[in-house]
Amino acid sequence: MKNHLKVLRAQRGLTQEDLSQELGVSRQAVNALETEKHSPSLDLAYRIAAVFDLPIDQIFESPYEKTKKIGRGK
Amino acid sequence: MTALSPSHLSQDQIRRQYVIRSSLFLAGYVAVNMAAIFGAFDDAKPRGAIALALVVVAPLAGHIWALLAYMRDADEFMRAVMARRFIISSGITMALTCAWGFMESYAHAWHAPGFLVYPLFWLVHGAVSPFIRSSN
Repeated sequence: MKNHLKVLRAQRGLTQEDLSQELGVSRQAVNALETEKHSPSLDLAYRIAAVFDLPIDQIFESPYEKTKKIGRGK
Repeated sequence: MTALSPSHLSQDQIRRQYVIRSSLFLAGYVAVNMAAIFGAFDDAKPRGAIALALVVVAPLAGHIWALLAYMRDADEFMRAVMARRFIISSGITMALTCAWGFMESYAHAWHAPGFLVYPLFWLVHGAVSPFIRSSN
């Protein structure tokens, strides 16, 4: 799932290890999220949103939002 | 900042716990087998021999429990990756052992003892793991 996790993490000066400790997951899990090798559960997505204090849809791009994609194309 | 983990253990602690448990169970497996090889159970009566077979396999059951406990406690990404590796390794191992069984029946291949399934499973697991690094 496409996301802005890497950018958001860098903006806050966090390493993958720092973020993994805040989320209570392994560093490999953070890396897998950033490289789109893992789509998070709703629970983990909410935990990530809580860490960055942002709505989920500002972190993860919904593949189902047709209107936004159409809008961008115009 | 407080971690938002549902578990009271960190992922490093969970991994260390698995390594320790695995080492203890596999050490037990080696110890019982070494004792058997050096004749500690040579005088066992038939019932004792059955008990011995169960004693030998108990550490392997413990090792599987340790792996499943690790999967239970690991984060969702590691759990998904481990589950994929476990399922694919199990499938390949079953296919190989079934193929060998038919080769024994029809092609007079030498008889492979059943206990070889366990090391075969881990051999396959080691071979497939580098290629399974995604939960998708």
